[in-house]
Amino acid sequence: MRQKLIILSLLIAAVTLSCSQEKKLPFLGPKSVNLKGDTVYHQIPSFHFLNQDSVFVTQKDLEGKIYVADFFFTTCPTICPKMKTQMLRIYERYKDRDEVRIVSHSIDPDFDNTSVLKDYAARLHVEAPKWNFLTGDKAAIYTLGQKSYMVSAQQDPNEAGGFVHSGAFILVDKNRHVRGIYDGTVEAEVNHLLEDMEILLKEL
Amino acid sequence: MVNDFLIHHLPLTIYHKIQNMKNLALLIFASFFFSCTSKEEITQQQYSVEGMALYQTHCENCHQADGAGLRDLYPSIQKSTLSPAALSCLIRNGKKGKGFMPANTKLQALDIAELITYMREKWGNQKRIYPTDSVQIALKNCR
Repeated sequence: MRQKLIILSLLIAAVTLSCSQEKKLPFLGPKSVNLKGDTVYHQIPSFHFLNQDSVFVTQKDLEGKIYVADFFFTTCPTICPKMKTQMLRIYERYKDRDEVRIVSHSIDPDFDNTSVLKDYAARLHVEAPKWNFLTGDKAAIYTLGQKSYMVSAQQDPNEAGGFVHSGAFILVDKNRHVRGIYDGTVEAEVNHLLEDMEILLKEL
Repeated sequence: MVNDFLIHHLPLTIYHKIQNMKNLALLIFASFFFSCTSKEEITQQQYSVEGMALYQTHCENCHQADGAGLRDLYPSIQKSTLSPAALSCLIRNGKKGKGFMPANTKLQALDIAELITYMREKWGNQKRIYPTDSVQIALKNCR
């Protein structure tokens, strides 16, 4: 009888402890192990792009912050407007929190120069540095999308608008690790992203 | 004027005539009149339903389900003052430069007629078909 009681109380304790443990976000992408035996997680490399104010933005500007990245182009007729509607929710919610940033990479840099991006941002009523619209070398943008953010982004004449790209929102932590990928065209998915951002903010 | 009078006063008239069992001619006329109206209504509804599906596929991403648009990026179409002819051209050919809108070259005259029928029922409060041949004429005369 006494043994049973002990087992029971142990079980209850185990359940309570596991429940009280806070949800942690995974580290996405390929991992490796360094010489010391530590796990090295996939990391977004440094980049160098112009934003809508013609200011160079690099990973330095995002140091110590979490950010959400996506890929779009201003003349995109398909999923981008939906993505922008959802991204606006993030912008509005974290407007006054400096530790949250949004980075939208144009995949049509030939057309989307800084003045086109400036106009786009102004008409969306959003501002840098909270929300950076970035343009630059096309090859560098596509490599960054495919290799680092692990989403598709490239030119495709068969697609409406001439480019194919995923509607993903990528959540990146203060150490440039990818911690979540969400469908930016679906409101429910973006609800999850908003929840996960709160978890990530606690890591700061 | 005459139509309004008939719509509002016929049912009551029929009622009295049936009561008296006197004027069958009017009853026959009335049934003919109503069947015509409903046939047109059905076609209007077909246009509108097709138009809604087309709206969701081709317009809603930017202009939103309620037609309100997105801030200053995509204009509201709720209070558009464009004529149906100008709208036909805009839908088919899009707009270049500032206020860019993609062209919809795959949409046929019928598709555009259905779209405009849907839009003006929803935001123009007009339950009236915009006919396909009007779209065809409009598209020939786009500037």
